[in-house]
Amino acid sequence: MDRKIKQRIAFTTFRIFSVSVVLMLVSILGFIVFNGAKAINWTFLTASPTEGMTAGGIFPAIVGTFYLVVGSMLFALPLGITAAIYTVEYGGETRIIRIMRIMTNNLAGVPSVVFGLFGMTLFVNKMGFGSSLLAGSLTLALLALPLIIRTTEEALKAVPDSYRTGSLALGATKLTTIRRVVLPAAFPNILTGIILSVGRVSGETAPILFTVAAYFLPHLPDSIFDQAMALPYHLYVLATSGTDMEATRPMAYGTALVLIFIVLLMNALVSLLRNSLKNKNSNE
Amino acid sequence: MIEAKNVNFYYGDFQALRNINMEIGQQTVTALIGPSGCGKSTFLRLFNRMNDLIENTRLEGECVVNDQNIYNRSVDVDELRKEVGMVFQKPNPFPKSIFENVAYGLRVNGNNNKKSVTQRVEESLISAALWDEVKDKLHKSAFELSGGQQQRLCIARALAVSPMVLLMDEPASALDPVSTSKIEELIHRLKTDYTIVIVTHNMQQAARVSDKTAFFMLGELVEYSDTKKMFLNPDKEATQNYITGRFG
Repeated sequence: MDRKIKQRIAFTTFRIFSVSVVLMLVSILGFIVFNGAKAINWTFLTASPTEGMTAGGIFPAIVGTFYLVVGSMLFALPLGITAAIYTVEYGGETRIIRIMRIMTNNLAGVPSVVFGLFGMTLFVNKMGFGSSLLAGSLTLALLALPLIIRTTEEALKAVPDSYRTGSLALGATKLTTIRRVVLPAAFPNILTGIILSVGRVSGETAPILFTVAAYFLPHLPDSIFDQAMALPYHLYVLATSGTDMEATRPMAYGTALVLIFIVLLMNALVSLLRNSLKNKNSNE
Repeated sequence: MIEAKNVNFYYGDFQALRNINMEIGQQTVTALIGPSGCGKSTFLRLFNRMNDLIENTRLEGECVVNDQNIYNRSVDVDELRKEVGMVFQKPNPFPKSIFENVAYGLRVNGNNNKKSVTQRVEESLISAALWDEVKDKLHKSAFELSGGQQQRLCIARALAVSPMVLLMDEPASALDPVSTSKIEELIHRLKTDYTIVIVTHNMQQAARVSDKTAFFMLGELVEYSDTKKMFLNPDKEATQNYITGRFG
């Protein structure tokens, strides 16, 4: 066969496949927007579910997800960022650090339902927190930790060594160098990692299933030992159980839309950050 | 003032410096020359203990600054580095404003008096012959400066903490000829106040800026004398060969 025709066939095949992937993503998104948009209104965003989840809104679930994101980050950020600072700035390339790195990578690959089971065993039962915001936040924090450690490590490694030597040569201590030069330089990339993990945490269902999520609560949680509703679990509930499935369907799509909107918003923030970072680097 | 006594230095099993004995006088410019890998940069970095940052290295002998062996246990490395400043081969300003780059050394050493910091920053930029070019944009990013300006900024940054000794590791090798001559003029002026040790690959540069020159080869100090004598009438044949460009 003619070589040019071969080329053309190959490229056409590639093009068809890649376009079909995009089409699939767009159609999923379009499907949810199309079905969910009808459900979105002020009441939907600000009221509790009523009449067996067939009316009212998802406000408690939005609040619950917000609490869980904040709670999990409160635990995961200090722990993850300090761990990364240790491995990159202090650890060197020792055996222990290599083992830590392999473990972190493996932790990132553990299915989220396993984190859920672990959280239930440890936080809910052994530590006696019960099904609560505290237990759910801790479980989600465990899930987010590997991601935060990895992204922070990459961010720190991207800081040129010449900044460190320059600072040390001026008589700054190692700690001062990290605090005043390395961390500020790494900050935009660390922030990117934080936002990615916020997106991840806000969308997970399995880890909160046994540790915090409530089917329905008449009031908002008012302590860290309370249960809470959350968007992904609420969606699961709306889609799988209910007295009148037909009536809850629009509510489910609306919830999905809100959840996707939140995650997409996070990702948009990431790319904005990356771009501003790129502009900054091109000045160098 | 600065002295190396029986210095041997190893990277792992590789011996980079062999029994170096050398005295460097106050307020002079001393050039360290020699082919790549001869140990001249390693030797330079001994005096602010930058080699400490490289793993698996070992030093024998003494490095004396101000009558004190700087490798004594009692020596505070951070304090030493305020006394012995360093300028690197590639300009390495921090991703901060021009002002903050120079103020950095003062701030990390606890000077938070706004007036005195501002004054010291200005003095340092004047000493580094950069003030006129940057005085109207002190709060712009240091990355907006040209390579030569960045290197003079790094010199200003080192001067701000009032060191006695300035170590320069090929400070002009990444710069264009005009910037290079500016740096050389600067070195000339700074020697009235500072003891300067400069590593250079450029023989003409060594001849132009230095009072004394040390020729290193294969980790040994081959010859050390007045720059004039070294370039006109060296004692050793190896020095003669290197200076006239027969190898290196």
